[in-house]
Amino acid sequence: MEREFAVKAKGVIKSYDDSHALNGIDLEVRSGQVMGFIGPNGAGKSTFLQAVLGLLNTEGELEVLGLDPRKERHKLLQKVCSITDVAVLPKWMTVEQVLKYVDGVHPRFNLEKAKSILSKTDIKINSKIKTLSRGLVVQLHLSIVMAIDAELLVLDEPTLGLDLVYRKEFYSQLIEDYYDGNKTILISTHQVEEIEGVLSDAIFMNQGRIVMKDSIDAINERFLELRPNQESLERARSLKPMHIRTELGREVFLFEGTEIDKLTELGEVRPPFIADLFMAIMDKTKSEGQG
Amino acid sequence: MNTLVTLIRRELQEHKVGFIYAPFIVTCVLSLVVISVYFGLTNIQTPEFNFSTKIYENEQALEWMATADIEQITAVMRSGLVVLALPILLTVAFAILAFNLSTFADERKDRTLIFWRSLPVSDLTTVMSKILLVTLIVPLIVLPNIILLHLISLLSASIFFATNDIVPFGWVWSAYSLTDWFRIIFSLWAQSLWSLPLMAWLMFAGAFAKRPIMGALVPIAVVVVLESIVLKTNHIFHFIEDRLGFWTSSLPEQHEEVRVVDVSDIYLMFSTQDFWIGMALSTLLIGGIVYFRSRNNDYSSE
Repeated sequence: MEREFAVKAKGVIKSYDDSHALNGIDLEVRSGQVMGFIGPNGAGKSTFLQAVLGLLNTEGELEVLGLDPRKERHKLLQKVCSITDVAVLPKWMTVEQVLKYVDGVHPRFNLEKAKSILSKTDIKINSKIKTLSRGLVVQLHLSIVMAIDAELLVLDEPTLGLDLVYRKEFYSQLIEDYYDGNKTILISTHQVEEIEGVLSDAIFMNQGRIVMKDSIDAINERFLELRPNQESLERARSLKPMHIRTELGREVFLFEGTEIDKLTELGEVRPPFIADLFMAIMDKTKSEGQG
Repeated sequence: MNTLVTLIRRELQEHKVGFIYAPFIVTCVLSLVVISVYFGLTNIQTPEFNFSTKIYENEQALEWMATADIEQITAVMRSGLVVLALPILLTVAFAILAFNLSTFADERKDRTLIFWRSLPVSDLTTVMSKILLVTLIVPLIVLPNIILLHLISLLSASIFFATNDIVPFGWVWSAYSLTDWFRIIFSLWAQSLWSLPLMAWLMFAGAFAKRPIMGALVPIAVVVVLESIVLKTNHIFHFIEDRLGFWTSSLPEQHEEVRVVDVSDIYLMFSTQDFWIGMALSTLLIGGIVYFRSRNNDYSSE
């Protein structure tokens, strides 16, 4: 039976002493979505992903693939894979040993597939993990994950510390060789611009709350960025942009819900980058709070 | 079952130096020493222990060897072989001690814990795999070393005896029982179960304390001192002392002095209250390790 939702969260709260790392998260992630969690440090992205993986106790209702992640973690992990920036593969192991280990403990792992994926990389099967560069270790981890027939993949800052080449390779491998439309992927990263083309949906988080959530298509329809001609500046301003920023001495206007036809005659129009949109929403939230 | 085998194989891969190489190296060194002694290249003489070919120049010793019956030969040989294998057992005991203290502390320190816990293996299964390793599997790995040392020692002795016209080549072999191998392995397993509360305590300290050695020693020191001041008793101290010693200390008094035990003695241990108190305590500690391991998720600043 096809599952409609991979993740369902209602009023999820995680408190540490006096502060809330998660402050009432309501969220539904449909099966097959590639959801990006975007926000500054301390926004609660990793905390939420840890809760999804059953690594944290939270208040509220949380259901992942129809299971309670805390109580049924063992069962859940047969269908969920994860890569986090801090997950360290054991340095004393060889690549072959780690593959055999995963093969021995994971019922959905395909050893031959993993070896086949690795054969296309620079990773030698008999290399010790401690001799691999950070980029190759992440590539090895991704190869392992790609050989697991999982329903949900959780990526928490998976490419942190990698150079540009490895980061690009990571995401292209993920989407071209792994994502088949049925798998659900949750990604949290600071390098938003690199995953923009990968996401189907985005969630903006700040201070343990969801500030905005929508599909990328809807965001592109709803928000437009205008770089007005010099003579159209005042007309653009009169259309009440939700945010104005300056880029290389030129003002860039962000509009919400404004018809594209009204803007095209004023200058260059395009959908905003997710990172810019996020910054605009943060600024707006801040100024509304102050106001 | 496959998961458990995989987990134990992983532990042996990681700790092959302590559990596989070190006992084998000690066995090789001991074998060389034994061979050297029988070939007259060296002597081992301490106030308590004398191992030298000179002993066979002793008239009384030679007469005893010529007239002893099989049971007497077996008894002497067993005692000698037990003493000979002690360095191997001490090496393994040290490796187990280091393993118990470090196994749950290291995975937190180097953050491999997050990788291990990202796979569908429950904390209880992981903890039990480590307990099974130190109680059942390591004794099985040690056994071939002990057997090898026995066989090399007996072979060297036989060659020495035969070439020096002391007794025929087959003198010791007729008294050497292959069933002793079972006696040894069951005795090692009994020892593991007897010392399990201490091993589980060390693992527990590794699971909860930032500094496992301090975590293992300080609480015990505090409790022992408090008990002696408040209750004027030393039960905890004696409990630990007993568990550090041979499992035969659990036996009723008339068996305590028996150095070379029989498999049937293990049943006696199972019938003692002390043994079951230790097992109950171990179960509680294993529960504690599972609890702390499942909560060691400190991997994000968020």
